[in-house]
Amino acid sequence: MRILAIIRQVLDAEESVYVDNRTVDLKGRKLVMDTMDEYGVEEALRIRERGAEAEIVVVGIGPARFEEALRSALSMGADRAIHVETDQEVDPIALSGVVAAIARKEEAQMIFCGGQQADWDSQALGAAVAEHLDWPALTWTRKLELKGTTLAGQRDAEDGVESFEVDLPAVVTTQQDLNEPRYPTLPNIMKAKRKEIRRETLESFGVALKVRSHGVEAQNRERLREVIDGRDAAAAASQLVAMLREKAGVMA
Amino acid sequence: MSTATVSHSSRKVSGGAFLVEDLLPGEIFTPEDLSDEQKQMAEITADFADKHVLGNIQEIEAKNFDLSRKLMRDLGELGLLSVDVPEAYGGMELGHVTSAMLTDKIAVSGSFSVTFSAHVGIGMLPLIWYGSPEQKQKYLPKLASGEWIAAYALSEASAGSDAMNIHTRAALSPDGKHYVLNGEKMWISNAGMAGLFTIFAKVDGEKFTAFLVEAGTPGLTVGPEEHKLGIRGSSTCPLALVDCLVPVENVLGEIGKGHHIAFNVLDVGRYKLAASAVGGARTVLRDGIRYGRDRIAFGKPVTSFGLIQEKIADTAADVYAGEAAVYRTVGAIDAAMPEGEKSPQQIQRAIEEFAVECSILKFWGSEMLERAVDKMFQIFGGYGFVEEFPVERAYRDSRINKIFEGTNEINRLITTGWMVKRAMQGRLALLPAIKKVMDEVMAGPSLQAPPSGALGAERSLVRNAKKLGLFCSGAASQRFGTELSEQQEVVGMLADMLAEIMVSESALLRAEKSAEQMPMGVRLAKYFIANSFRRMVMLAEKLVAAVAEGDTLRTQMAIVRRLAKHEPVNTVALGREITATMVAAGRYTVEEVRG
Repeated sequence: MRILAIIRQVLDAEESVYVDNRTVDLKGRKLVMDTMDEYGVEEALRIRERGAEAEIVVVGIGPARFEEALRSALSMGADRAIHVETDQEVDPIALSGVVAAIARKEEAQMIFCGGQQADWDSQALGAAVAEHLDWPALTWTRKLELKGTTLAGQRDAEDGVESFEVDLPAVVTTQQDLNEPRYPTLPNIMKAKRKEIRRETLESFGVALKVRSHGVEAQNRERLREVIDGRDAAAAASQLVAMLREKAGVMA
Repeated sequence: MSTATVSHSSRKVSGGAFLVEDLLPGEIFTPEDLSDEQKQMAEITADFADKHVLGNIQEIEAKNFDLSRKLMRDLGELGLLSVDVPEAYGGMELGHVTSAMLTDKIAVSGSFSVTFSAHVGIGMLPLIWYGSPEQKQKYLPKLASGEWIAAYALSEASAGSDAMNIHTRAALSPDGKHYVLNGEKMWISNAGMAGLFTIFAKVDGEKFTAFLVEAGTPGLTVGPEEHKLGIRGSSTCPLALVDCLVPVENVLGEIGKGHHIAFNVLDVGRYKLAASAVGGARTVLRDGIRYGRDRIAFGKPVTSFGLIQEKIADTAADVYAGEAAVYRTVGAIDAAMPEGEKSPQQIQRAIEEFAVECSILKFWGSEMLERAVDKMFQIFGGYGFVEEFPVERAYRDSRINKIFEGTNEINRLITTGWMVKRAMQGRLALLPAIKKVMDEVMAGPSLQAPPSGALGAERSLVRNAKKLGLFCSGAASQRFGTELSEQQEVVGMLADMLAEIMVSESALLRAEKSAEQMPMGVRLAKYFIANSFRRMVMLAEKLVAAVAEGDTLRTQMAIVRRLAKHEPVNTVALGREITATMVAAGRYTVEEVRG
């Protein structure tokens, strides 16, 4: 069996966002693998560790710097990587066409991707890939177990949890309740160096971009820097209510 | 050694050469030379430190040793305790650069840093270097996995800096199967959680020897935890040895040669202490910047005030120069290490070669950290004095660094003494270099244009700092001759000058090496070197005043002034520029970050 794990590279959550000339300035900032995608890499590894025979291929579609994120996934234990290099901002629907083409070529049976992008918040990729391939999509999963070619598990629904079973192939999207990703071990970091990263160009997939980004701006949420003294609980509560009413305007 | 990860860009230089030779940037190892794999290891370690060490800091500080032990096992699982362990024993053997880098990155908490360093450094290295195959087979896997914690027991109540003066005795048992140890040890890091102790004792009261002693050995008692000012989450206890029976096969190395083990390990302990001081300073700088950015006074973030900006710039430049000096030294040690299987003597030679750099790093690094925590403390104002804020802990934790691994006083004496000894042995061309400077200054001023390039003026400053150092060494030895070592204040000033030279030169070479890709490094080096040179001139004046009088004093002061002559850098403007970048990044950075 072959499992694809789709990953992206994003700004580390600790870093501040600086927008200049309507683009996010990433220069000198710390970039990491999108944690939402990392859960997928981790789950693929766990499925294999629980006994499934699987080759795990990580796929990144983005600029040259994505290679660091691909290396991280290889250090965690993925077998090889495919890097579709492009400096263009590819919208999730266009992206899904590329992922589907790779899945067909690689004859994958399972595709993992993050339930939501850490930076632009889109949740579309998983479902769109499933649509392309005409595969079932299990989104926002919290528990997974592979029995032969059947995947059982649970996913978060609006107000509860849904248990499911599905025959592969399938697309699975991941979230923080699924697992805790491992750190790469030092020996695995050394091994990852020799693992293959296959480079392809976006053009070779003949994908037309559907959305053209015209720039971004940052919402500045200024802190009010007000501290409520909690020694007198009653006074603190009424002060808080007053602030919510007058300053925040969230109470009538 | 897995040379795959370790790129040796440092040429084979000899210890102490920084004073008498001018190196080219390509000849030293810098943090920018770390391989992608090393950077990945650094990332993981830093991430682990933030999430699991700082994330549990209250528990750690409350001496929850079960938690500390668990964190150590987690590190063991990741391979982070095996970096110095030979491959034959399941380790990674990645060299001193990697090892120092991990020590640097884990150093977000003084307490856990000490637990970690006492284990992988002074705890494990004696066994790795001097252990027999059987000893290594028996103990290394347990220590590399973190299942057992290691401790190093040298100090005693009356033998700290004068470590050779230990009173713990060992005598062979009548049946020849055991050594019977009697005595007391003090200030033993990790003692309360250790599974294996390296204990130093004198066989028959004279032969200095190391023993591997397992916890639980009859006659070994671990005393109560000390109540300490800082590093409260680390374990520090006395040991009592009362007829403690240690099997003869647990003698480490040779009988009577334990001092080699003790001192070599201390050299590594010293550079590692500096590596963790750099890591600690980087952490406290981040805390200070983030607090200062959010803290409003007079309607503005306090980071917009010049006196706060100056503290941030000072600390950032210190961290940059500290990184440069540490990685340069460990790079040189790695380059001096022979490939493949190494005998204890070969390891000893490679490390001993850089004993003076290790001592400089120790006292300079610990004092740099102290400056950093003090300056950042000031940004926190009154809140810094309260336990909820990280700088309160950092301030208490930093103090011990000036004491353990050889007090800063001892390390200053070692620094100057080592240079003098090397010169006397003819292994360091110190005397010709002094003579050259003397001739030059006697010949009168020469008009030499500073070297070109972004750091041309700094290259010339570092060169003049060396001349000042050489001139002062000459002046001091002229005055005191072989009695110099009795003049501890003068010896100390010379050590401080040597430190300024070594660290400045490291910053210079690092910045030169990456000048094109990293303009921030150029700014940081310029800032550091400008201030270092000011300190250098003050030291020279103080020294000359202590060694000369009358006409000689006047002549020597004239020489100092001539060597000190330069066009000063506007460090106020430069400091504001540096701080703007650090504040934009929200942490220490060598990149161009806007925000």
